[in-house]
Amino acid sequence: MVPELAGRAHVATIGPVIRRALDAAGLDASAPALSGIAVTSGPGLIGSLLVGLSTAKALALAWELPFVGVNHLEGHLFAPLLESSDLSWPIMTLLVSGGHSLIVLQRGPGEHEVLGETIDDAAGEAYDKVARWLGLGYPGGPEIDRLAQQGSPDALRLPVSMIGDDFDLSFSGLKTAVVRATQQHHEVALADVAASFQAALAEQLLRKLRHALERYEVAGLALAGGVAANSKLRIEVGELAREFGLELHLPTMAMCTDNAAMIAAAGVYRLAASGPSALNLSARPNWQLADVS
Amino acid sequence: MNILAIETATPACAVALRTSDGVERAVVVDDERHHTEALTPGIERLLLDAGLAARDLDVIVVDRGPGLFTGLRVGVATAVGLALGAGAQLVAVTSLEVLAAGAFSAGVRGTLVCAVDARRGELFVQGFELAAGVRHLSDATVTVPEALVATWEASGLAVTFSGDGADRYEAALREVRSASFYEQRVPSPIEALRLGATREPGGDVVPLYLREADAVANFSTRERPT
Ligand SMILES: [Zn+2]
Repeated sequence: MVPELAGRAHVATIGPVIRRALDAAGLDASAPALSGIAVTSGPGLIGSLLVGLSTAKALALAWELPFVGVNHLEGHLFAPLLESSDLSWPIMTLLVSGGHSLIVLQRGPGEHEVLGETIDDAAGEAYDKVARWLGLGYPGGPEIDRLAQQGSPDALRLPVSMIGDDFDLSFSGLKTAVVRATQQHHEVALADVAASFQAALAEQLLRKLRHALERYEVAGLALAGGVAANSKLRIEVGELAREFGLELHLPTMAMCTDNAAMIAAAGVYRLAASGPSALNLSARPNWQLADVS
Repeated sequence: MNILAIETATPACAVALRTSDGVERAVVVDDERHHTEALTPGIERLLLDAGLAARDLDVIVVDRGPGLFTGLRVGVATAVGLALGAGAQLVAVTSLEVLAAGAFSAGVRGTLVCAVDARRGELFVQGFELAAGVRHLSDATVTVPEALVATWEASGLAVTFSGDGADRYEAALREVRSASFYEQRVPSPIEALRLGATREPGGDVVPLYLREADAVANFSTRERPT
């Protein structure tokens, strides 16, 4: 992805997208019945962030509404909860996307503690890198997921790394192992490689998640982020929730990918809990979830 | 008619306002590339000074460049949001024609070359003929100082250079024997406003980049997708 291209596309589409959203919601663009404007202020690409930030500030000024900058990852935490009306807390969340892999303990809405995160690649990044190695398309997640349905997860023996006592994750070793194994075993079918990789990655996530559930008592288990669209992971997280007797929160497919509904949800909470942001708010390209308060 | 102009093509961030009583106000709200932070509060203050709310605005004029990509995106995105939210019309001007208008207002006549610093040793330039009015001699383009010098030295014409690009490369541009300089570091937001006020609004506005996106890739390689 070329960051400059993304920034150019955003500045060209943001006006029409907002107009369409207002139309779809039946809101009057000159004075919409809204209680605030929420926008992602980080983390992300600076050229993209400042387009959203600038437009949101201008709208807040024009509509005389409170404005709030939201952490994109906090948005992801809200995504699987959007369609559940009666939530029991705390909730353990596995947040896995192209850029991030975190295990987060949510004591209540917006009260989160990052228990562990990837020390190298994100899970989605590992999918993309393995897909590229196998000559599949981008993004790698859906391609590998689709292929894996026809393959055997036991075809290749891949390591499930770092069985330490912490909750941190690591995927770069798995990616290297896939490269090495496919070089050594040319005869293994692509579908089998995909299934084996997917199974090893899911197993690491599941082991760490299980470890966290054994340590912390929670009422719910949630899956969030782009990799939450992965069929195997959805099934296995569901089984884990059943085993521990927890409420399961799986995002709909639309809520797995980056979306503005989750930013609005986080914004409602942030406005109530922390109040509005000032109009001189900066973009924070490297804003960590652990630094949100 | 209440008209607001937004100027973010250079490291400075400036705004101007003309209210229906004809009073014009302008302010440079920041000088050091803090467009994202400074622009909206600057607009808010200017409106407050005039006793206006943003929804009272009828026209938003925005400088769409060429210039600093970050500044242009902030300026255009803010203008788009403001026009949408306030129900105002959106009008675009270019940084180079705003500089030409500024020079014309100051009494500069003859051949004028406006130059905005494009970084990486390059300039965004456009030639104008200033007589009874301002006439474009060429389209806006990106070039290097040596090429600019060669062109105008060969022309044998007396030429005036203006803009932050002319400031930066003044030593090189002095190679043009007949060169003179009219200093204008920031395109004037008042000139942008006056120019925009003469135009028919309408259509979507996007920044004028004059460079392919892939040529500026790897600006932000430290950041990851989310
Ligand atoms: Zn995301």
